[in-house]
Amino acid sequence: MIDQLGNGLLLGVIISVAAVALSLLYGVTRIVNFAHGEIIALGAILTLFFSGSVDSRVLFLDRFSPLGMNFVISAVFAVILCGIFGGLLELMLFRPLRRNSVGNIAVLVVTIGLSIFVRHIYLLFATGKVQNFPLELQRRETYLFFDMTPRNFKVLIVAVVVMITVGLILSYTKLGKAMRAVRDSEELANISGVNSDYIIFITWVFSSMLAGLAGIFQAIINDVRWNMGFLILLLIFAGTVLGGIGTSFGAMVGGFLIGVLVQISVGLPFMEGHVEAKNAVALAIMILILLFRPQGIFGKKERIS
Amino acid sequence: MNINYKFITTLVLTVFSIYLVFALNTEGSERILLNLLTFAGIYGLSAIGLNVHFGWTGLLNFGHASFMGVGAYVTILLIPHAAGREGEFSTNGLPLIIALIVGVIAAALFGLLLGLPAIRLRGDYLAIVTIAAAEIFRLLVRDLESITGGVYGIISFSDSLQNYRPDFIDNLLTNFEFSPAQAWVGTLAWILIFVVLLLLKRLNNSPWGRALRAVREDEDAVRAMGKNAVWLKLQSFMLGAGIAGLSGVLLAFNYGSLQTTTFVPLLTFYVWAIMILGGVGSLMGPVFGSIIFWVIISETDRFAVLLFENANGQQIAGVRFVLVGLLIMFLMIFRPSGLLGKKEELLLNVK
Repeated sequence: MIDQLGNGLLLGVIISVAAVALSLLYGVTRIVNFAHGEIIALGAILTLFFSGSVDSRVLFLDRFSPLGMNFVISAVFAVILCGIFGGLLELMLFRPLRRNSVGNIAVLVVTIGLSIFVRHIYLLFATGKVQNFPLELQRRETYLFFDMTPRNFKVLIVAVVVMITVGLILSYTKLGKAMRAVRDSEELANISGVNSDYIIFITWVFSSMLAGLAGIFQAIINDVRWNMGFLILLLIFAGTVLGGIGTSFGAMVGGFLIGVLVQISVGLPFMEGHVEAKNAVALAIMILILLFRPQGIFGKKERIS
Repeated sequence: MNINYKFITTLVLTVFSIYLVFALNTEGSERILLNLLTFAGIYGLSAIGLNVHFGWTGLLNFGHASFMGVGAYVTILLIPHAAGREGEFSTNGLPLIIALIVGVIAAALFGLLLGLPAIRLRGDYLAIVTIAAAEIFRLLVRDLESITGGVYGIISFSDSLQNYRPDFIDNLLTNFEFSPAQAWVGTLAWILIFVVLLLLKRLNNSPWGRALRAVREDEDAVRAMGKNAVWLKLQSFMLGAGIAGLSGVLLAFNYGSLQTTTFVPLLTFYVWAIMILGGVGSLMGPVFGSIIFWVIISETDRFAVLLFENANGQQIAGVRFVLVGLLIMFLMIFRPSGLLGKKEELLLNVK
């Protein structure tokens, strides 16, 4: 069980970062974004495109080889581009839908369509194969009581720093206050002089940047796949629900717990030989939470039926 | 008499899409048409079940693949089959008709099981729960290799159905290069669609059907009238899941083997696309929607070839799903009522 703790921490922070982004977006816009996973994959795919070695066998569009840029710069570019992508989605798709007062469920179905569309665009034009970032292999080392490679340990640290930063931004800056104001009531926020359209736009950008970052973390630890976002999406939902959907700190904790639980459950006696079913554990937890404490660990009680 | 323009347009579009199959394919068009009509029948039946959930009752079900899966796995496991890597054929098994009834009941009960937590939840939560439950089902089936064959699947079960194949199907198909086995599955699918639609038409106009639609419109009002809204929702869940189970069995017989990879979330999204295209809440919608959808799907290979020289299977599948995604998005944005649905009957806002 302890062997899995290191993996659990890593999966935990990835899901945590992605869940904060999903939960923030839901809180401010009330959109359950099924295309969240595709933004996660975009972060990883773009990073691969920028950083991959020029003469590697990875090809985009069957003819473009990667650019061979410095890895950190690639990651930064990828995160920025993810933010731009999210902003464009808001401006070109979701804002017009909101203007025409298209209902929440219709928007949810639109995000599902968007997710299928974008994901298969990746399959067609980016990479149908499982790829890895051009990073050298590292040996696992022991930190405190868990094992992981130095690179993955760095990912862990960066992720924690990112989450603390996000927490500080949401709690103490004017932007964070405005986001919470729009979340609580768009109309009241508008009356108080908050430009809710601008805040929703910023939320999309911010949420997409975090999602892209989570994708890069995921790809560093594991690999780049065209459907990597969709594979992890349900776990992110589970984390968001566990912490309380719409709450940022709840999503952080919930996402982290789900990641750790998923990996630790691999070591449970009855799971022996059923490694593939580990995700089922997380999803079952999510359904139980929705049954008995639908507001999650940190959520406020509100009508959800 | 009131002329129903929507219906005529839909009919014309359906005939036109069938005509397209002949116009675009110089040879083998009959074979392509029979193949796509078989799939259209099976998926159309499934979409009719989904329509009971979403169209009639307003339940946002994104785990439809699991209802199809439960029906398929229970039925196939009860009839003679060979499961798993070893693939040893066991001759013991129930007759198909009994197995089928058990399978459909099992799917309905799975609907009940999933409905129990689900009815307490608001629309978007329900979507997440149902898609998660469907994934749990798929992961469990894949892991219980000793029973379900796991990733190796189940084979050699088709005889149970094909033994009942009437001779006229073989006689009719002598001129075409088309498998009589598949034609038999397709014929059954369309017969079942007919039977299920007759049943639903009766139900739709019954007090029960009206109460169900009232649940979609205003649950509190239904409660105030002394109806048990929760039980109505559960009944709807069971009915739709049972129909989906039936279509799952047909899907298994159509493929001739049962694989867990069939029941991925994308299957659910296919069925959703068909339902939206046909018209949410409309009785006949999914039938026409399914035919048009499968014509589009089966002709996408051309797009794939246009885009890529020597398109491989993955690229063809990719182009298909890019189109499915676009179709869902565009319909939901520009014509959420689809071909035959009524806009005022569409439940799209979370209350």
